[in-house]
Amino acid sequence: MVTPESIKHNIEQGMVTTYLSVSGDGRHFEAVVVSDEFAGKSRVQRHQRVYQTLGDRMREEVHALSMKTFTPQEWQDK
Amino acid sequence: MDVQELIKQQVTGHTVVLYMKGSPQFPQCGFSANAVRILNTLGEKDFFSVDVLQQTEIRQGIKDYANWPTIPQLYIKGEFIGGSDIMTEMYQSGELQTLLERKL
Repeated sequence: MVTPESIKHNIEQGMVTTYLSVSGDGRHFEAVVVSDEFAGKSRVQRHQRVYQTLGDRMREEVHALSMKTFTPQEWQDK
Repeated sequence: MDVQELIKQQVTGHTVVLYMKGSPQFPQCGFSANAVRILNTLGEKDFFSVDVLQQTEIRQGIKDYANWPTIPQLYIKGEFIGGSDIMTEMYQSGELQTLLERKL
């Protein structure tokens, strides 16, 4: 079964984050990702960046990953 | 016809296109249901929808088309707008309404 921890691990390995949380039940997951890399990027580009860290797992194992993405500045202003 | 070509024709041939699981009347997934609900709330009732559960080639092809691994996917005037999360954020911020108003 896919665990939130394993998804978190993939994201951490694939990009630099200043805050990252992942929760979920094995099929549906929710992530909050804060990263400098998101600066100047559209929402679609941000999500694509996170999906990229999960590679084929998104196609094969994970039914759905709900995401909220922020730059450190946006996260602070929240 | 090549599936990528077919998708291109669909998204450019209709103003608002939603790739989803199930139909707008009977969505088969909570995220697709959310996408339909948002469009309906914004007055979009007659958008072109494609049920990927009925069309397996498109189910795979649409993920490649937008480099986006999940369904639903919303397109406005041929442009990929996002999935359920992004639609929700853009609905809450008013951006989606602006986009839809501008489409005409």
